[in-house]
Formats: sequence, structure tokens, C-alpha cells
Amino acid sequence: MNSRDQILAKLKTNKPKLIDLPLIETSIFRDEGLDIIKEFIKKVEVVGGNVLEVTSNQDVINKIESTFTNQEVCYSHIKGTQGFNTISLETIQNPHDLENLDVLILESTLGVAENGSVWLSDQEIPVRVLPFITKHLAVVISKKDLVEYMHEAYSRLSGFNYGVFLAGPSKTADIEQSLVIGAQGALSITIFLKQ
Amino acid sequence: MKVGLFIPCYINQLYPQVGKATLELLEKLNVKVSYPSGQTCCGQPMANSGYESESIGACNHFIDNFKDFDYIVTPSGSCAYHVKKHYDIIPQTEDVINVRNNVYELCDFILNILKIKDIGASFPYKVGVHKSCHGLRGLRLGSCSERVEASYSYIEELLQHTKGVELMPLQRSDECCGFGGTFAVVEEAISVKMGKDKIKDHLESGVEVITATDTSCLMHLEGLITRNHQPLKVLHIAEILNSNL
Amino acid sequence: MSHSELASIFNKNEKKVDWHDKALWFVRHKRDLSVHEVKGWEALRNLGHGIKAHTLSNLDNYLIEFEANAIKNDIQVHWAADGDEHNRIVHNIIKESNGKKVVKSKSMLTEECHLNPFLEAHGIEVIDTDLGERIVQLAKEKPSHIVLPAIHKNKHEVDKLFQEHLGTKPCDGDPQYLTGEARKHLRQKFIQADVAITGVNFAIANTGGFVVCTNEGNADMGAQLAPVHIACMGVEKIIPKQEHLGVFLRLLARSATGQPITTYSSHFKKPRKGEKMHIVIVDNGRTEQLSRPDFRTSLHCIRCGACMNTCPIYRRSGGHSYDATIPGPIGSILSPGKDLKKYSSLPFASTLCGSCSDVCPVKIDIHSQLYKWRQIITKETPQPFVKAQTMKIMGQMFSKPSQFERVGKAVRWSLRNLPKSVINSKLNTWGKARDLPEGPKQSFDQWYEERKNNQKD
Repeated sequence: MNSRDQILAKLKTNKPKLIDLPLIETSIFRDEGLDIIKEFIKKVEVVGGNVLEVTSNQDVINKIESTFTNQEVCYSHIKGTQGFNTISLETIQNPHDLENLDVLILESTLGVAENGSVWLSDQEIPVRVLPFITKHLAVVISKKDLVEYMHEAYSRLSGFNYGVFLAGPSKTADIEQSLVIGAQGALSITIFLKQ
Repeated sequence: MKVGLFIPCYINQLYPQVGKATLELLEKLNVKVSYPSGQTCCGQPMANSGYESESIGACNHFIDNFKDFDYIVTPSGSCAYHVKKHYDIIPQTEDVINVRNNVYELCDFILNILKIKDIGASFPYKVGVHKSCHGLRGLRLGSCSERVEASYSYIEELLQHTKGVELMPLQRSDECCGFGGTFAVVEEAISVKMGKDKIKDHLESGVEVITATDTSCLMHLEGLITRNHQPLKVLHIAEILNSNL
Repeated sequence: MSHSELASIFNKNEKKVDWHDKALWFVRHKRDLSVHEVKGWEALRNLGHGIKAHTLSNLDNYLIEFEANAIKNDIQVHWAADGDEHNRIVHNIIKESNGKKVVKSKSMLTEECHLNPFLEAHGIEVIDTDLGERIVQLAKEKPSHIVLPAIHKNKHEVDKLFQEHLGTKPCDGDPQYLTGEARKHLRQKFIQADVAITGVNFAIANTGGFVVCTNEGNADMGAQLAPVHIACMGVEKIIPKQEHLGVFLRLLARSATGQPITTYSSHFKKPRKGEKMHIVIVDNGRTEQLSRPDFRTSLHCIRCGACMNTCPIYRRSGGHSYDATIPGPIGSILSPGKDLKKYSSLPFASTLCGSCSDVCPVKIDIHSQLYKWRQIITKETPQPFVKAQTMKIMGQMFSKPSQFERVGKAVRWSLRNLPKSVINSKLNTWGKARDLPEGPKQSFDQWYEERKNNQKD
């Protein structure tokens, strides 16, 4: 018997009698009076991100250009902002070529108020390494795309091949428990909230 | 209501004053208490050391002593917990089931069975409560800091109704003191360090008297306090509630 | 050495113990603040427990479902009965892709299987990319905590280590500078890597995908750059459906560090175009643990480390005193299942205070299992003669009131009359740092008897 069959056979013999799968009754978690937008902003800040309110994609570009001055390598994946790009993804042979990316702008269609995370999947990330390898990450999201908690978020997710809930900049506290922002991933994240 | 008093072995031999205070207190509250003679031990020292099988004689003896009572009251959360939680090693006769259901830690009994909050005691000192673990997380004699639940504490509720008591807050409200039965000897270094840290917390809060539902924790802390000549006293909760100073 | 011996050594430096205790208590405190914000936290824990219990009771079928879905998604699935087979499988995948350089994000499973030394012996460079793991790797040590691998090291030690290995400048232990230098060092490793290895936090049966959680972004930096991604998981990592992630991702980071969620919760389902993705499913003693009714819930563990942060013994003895891959309370109920004799002191490294069970996000009754392992250990491993005899004698004494009274009287007399130097002699471990109570003249029994007689008069 190969290891697969051996393991499965042992599990079959050793497992207890079938125990019912509990149902997730989400109403017990719902906080009725919660202002989802306020909570989302609060939690993005808790996880180390910044939140700016914007009116249009051009507004995003303007705010980025005034916040991150003199950046060399920039790429935006949001509509109508091609002028911002200093690189073309078509010419990228290898994800390694993105190593010097300074600013990246992506769009998300799902944000979670309870933890300040935004969902980014293959549909929003043309090259998977982008949100990790960039120095600075900007994510644009509409207020209507914010949900209260993770249960609701998962009820909206399907059909992706890769996706990440991303909450704040990369961080570590591995040296004497001192929080340092900017470990192996992005050094900063700015969330742009659209009406 | 037939109430049997259970005095744990080490209290019987080393801290008889705690037993006396418990008995006198219950009598003050008009409880007719019987003290079955020939009590020994609940079996916990052997069982927690991994020798549950050697404790069966003690368990059976305990059941024999207490099977005829409606309530069994003891000044030890830890021993009460042991009877409730670990007496599954002897056959579950009706007597065993009854004894396990009816054993109560003293504060729990006063508050929840007698429904008395104010005993009329007075004790004009700054008091620090040590929430002994088996009572707290085993018997749920209070809310514990790990769980998200409404805040309560039987021992503190009784102290709040004791005249003159000033309850002092701790940095770590319910961390273990490091006694742990044979742990105190097997893991001597850690046990002592935990005890020292616990005492420091009380001292820094300005506590004059440490109290608890368990004398075992207090024996460990007192051992350190005495050795290190620290300005603290330890008293079992029964001794405070039986005071009229 | 036993836990108590190693813990005594750790306790020789009281300042370090105090630092270690405070650092971890701080994490526990952050966890408290964070979970108190969640409405229905205890219900969430119940769900976590219930979903895991259900999954274990149907684990073979869920693994089959997971495998089928993963294969549909172009993931290659491998099965390993033990650590050796796991290492051979991983090595073969690397060999097939002509890999020489591997970057690895945190995986306690690969620690358990001793993957790094195995690959290194075959001439492969393995770089741990989690900062804490990289620190202990450079120091040639093992992680002392499953979430904070280098918590036993102070910043000056890291400073020195980085000067030696990464050529950094002396910086008086500046964490910002040191982390920045590690970032540069690891960037090079990510760029050069042929293969990325990650662990798996959750594997989802109904999608064939899996989730990896990190704060540093190191799992994705590895997996999204290297042409080959190998994810290693124990059989117990399965959850039935994607919606169950809603429960576990809410529980995990809050319990671990007090964050509402880890910075990156990456959901891998299909490899990048043209690249390869492998999953290695490992048993290594888990099916056996499943067969033990008293201990099978230890397999619920989601590796948050909360039981370590809350454990007053762990905080004061350091992770290395457990001498096991998974230290602390959860490790002390897992390890005896693997090697009862070697780990026989671990279930005794506890006061049974129960804090671990109350902090556990999936409600494993850790302290009850510690108690149960004790009962097994005294029966199945050699015990010191004196201890076994003492317990026997105590057991007999407590069965007979007359014996109990006689012994009690002798003890009280000794405590009253023997000089302190005798009471606190070397034979009395209690007395090394603590006094014993004064022996009272009368026991409670005697006082009660006397009072009864007086009342009669």
C-alpha cells in the first residue's frame, strides 16, 4: 500500500464517530448600530495603513503624486490612469523585473470593516507578486464594497485562482517585540475610499 | 438542609484555624453543620502527580464520609474541583454522582445557596485577592481574564460587603501563583519565581493582606513572604469573613 | 534533560526571565484587548472547535475531496507517512526542477521533519525568510516559540549576529535598522530562489485551495517569484469549506498577536501560468494521535501560540526548556504522543491552572489533557522509586483515618520542634526558597473533638 492509501486507511480506522458540522449563525456576530465605513477606517489605521477619501481616479493620482514625490517606477491598474505608468507590464518577462517598483495602484472590490483588510485577487492583480514587491501600495475601493466582517466577505468570494486579504503594510516584531513597519513586503499602504 | 463540612487534609493538620473559621462562619449564618469524623483527603495530591489509581481508596473514603449530605461545603476550591472533575475514576453510583453534584466551595455556597451577600463582617485592611486557579477556571467562581464574559467574582462580592475592606487591584488579576501541588517541588525554580512575581504584584498595589479561596496557594505565598521578611499577611477568606475587627 | 532542569538553568538569569515574561504577557494582553472587541467571541471559539471536531471525524473523506479539487486546479499532490518521506518528496521535487536555492516561509511541520538539515546535506541552500526564523537559523538554534521564533534573543544578540553574518554595522540593537538590513539580504534570496516552500494554515476541501498567513509578506515574496512552490501540510490542516475560513481567520491573528487579521492571508488555488505548485500532505504521527480519544482534540490546534503567551510556566522557562518542536502547553500534549519517554517531563511542567484551555481559540482542553498524560506516563515510563513509593504510601494513608492522624501528628511535631536547619535541609526542595508553616499543636480534628466534649459538659 502506498503512503496515501495507508494514511487514508488509518484515518478511517482511527477517526471518531461522525460529529455534526455546526452551522455558522452570523446574526450573533452582527453589531447592529455599527458604522461600517468608520469602523473600516479605524481598523486600517490600527493595522498600520492610511486612509484618504477621493472623488475620482484622477484624484487618486493627484494625491499619490503629492504624497510620494520623485518616485521613478510607478504602475497603476485603475481605469483611465495610464499616464501615471512608467512601465508596461507587457514588456515584463519575469516577475523579478518588478524589483524596483516604487508605487503601485490597484483596485479592490471588497474591504472588511472588522480588520481593515482589502481583498485582491487575480482579477485585480495582473502579476501576483505586485502588491508584495512594490515599495508603496495604494488600493482604491468604493465605500459600497465594504462589509462588516469576514463571514460576509466569504459569502461574496468565488472563482479566483489566487487572492489575498491584505491588511496594512508588511510588518514584523521579531526583534525584541519592537514593531517595525516594512519587513519583506510593501513599506506602506494607502487606502483610497471612493463614494 | 443537611450540610457536611469537608476540611482538606493539609488544612486539618497545618491550618486548623481556617477550618475553625469556616465552621464558625457557617454556624453564624445559621447553618447546621456536621463534621464527619475520620476525614482524610480528596485524593488530589496523588492524582495530579499522575497516580490517580493510588487515590481510589481516598476517593471511596470521601464518598463514604459525605454520601448522606445535601451539601458538602469546603474552604477549598481546588479540592471541590477535584471531586467534581476527577471522581470519574470510581464507579458512578448514585452516591458518587450526588456527592460530585453537591460539593461546594465556601464562597459559592454562601452566595448562591444561602443567598447571603452581607455577612456582617468587618475587616479594616487593604486586601488583595488571589484568585486560585482551580476555583476560578475549574469551578468558575469568577469571570476569568481570558474569556469574554460579564465580570463577576464570588470572593470579591463577599469582600465588597465586608466593612472596612479596601480591595486592591492587581496588574495581573488572575495569574497562577505557582503552587500546583507537587509542581511546587518538581519545578521548584519556576514555582518560586511565579510566587515571587505574584507577591510583588500585591506589594506594588499596596496590599496588606492576601486572601484566597485556597490555603494551598496561600501556604506557598506565605512560605516566600516569611523567608523574605516581606510586609504582608495571608489569610483564608473564611478567616476574613469570620472577623469582626 | 527534563523541563525542570532546563527551566532551572533559564532561571539563573532572573532579569532575562523577567524580560521574557513581560514581553509575552504583553502579547497576551494585546490578545485580550483584541478579542474583547469581537461580538460573540465565545460563540466563535465554539464554532472553531465544532468545525475542527467535525472535520477530524470525517478527515479521510475531506482529504480525498481536497486532493481531487487540488489536482483539478493543476496542483500536484503528494502524501508522506512520516518526516523522512516528506523530506525525500520535497528533495525530489527540487531535484527535478534543478533547484539549488530554496526560500522557506514559516512552517512548523518542516521543523518537525527536520527538513533544513536534510536538504543542506544534499547541497541545497535553504533560507528561512521569516525574520525571526532567519535570526535563529543564523544562530544555529531552533525557534523557541511558534509565532515569535526569536523571542528568547535580545536585540543586542541580533545586532552581533547580523554583523557576523550579514556584514551590518554596529547599531546598538536598533530594530528598525536591523530589519531594514534583513529586508535587503532577503530580497536577494527571494530574487535568486529556484523553489519556494511554505507551510499551510488552512487547506479547503471544497476548493482544493489553501491559505497561508504571514505578517512580513515572506510567503508570497517566495511563492510569487520562484518557479516552483511547495506547500507542506499536516493532515489536520483541512477545513471543509471556504466559508469556514471566516471563522478561523477571525480567531487566528487575534489569538496570536492581537491583530484583527494577519497582514497577508493568501489564498492559493492554482499555480501561476507556466509554473508548478505542489502540496505535500504529511501524517508523521497524526493518525495515531487521532486514535486516542482523550487526546485527539489536540489536532484542532491552529498554531496561534496563545497558550504559550498565557502560560505562566512557558513565560518563565523559555521555549527551549521544552526541547520539542512545538513548545508550551499545546506542545506538551502533542509531544508525548510522539515519544512518551523523551517528553515525559512535559505534562508535569504545568500547575494545571487552565489558562491555556480558556485562551485557546478552538477550545482544546489542554490542561485536562496534561492531567491525562500524567496518568499514562507514570504507568508506562520508568518512575523514580521514591516517587512511586511515596504515592503508594500516601494513597494508603488517605484511605485510613487512623494512619492519617498519626502521620499528621508527627509532621506537626516536627515542624514545631525541629530546628530550621534540619527542616530546610537539602532534602527538602520546598525549603530552598520557602519556609514551611509552623506546626500547630492541635489539628482541626482534635480541636473539633475538644469543642464537642466541652459543649457536652
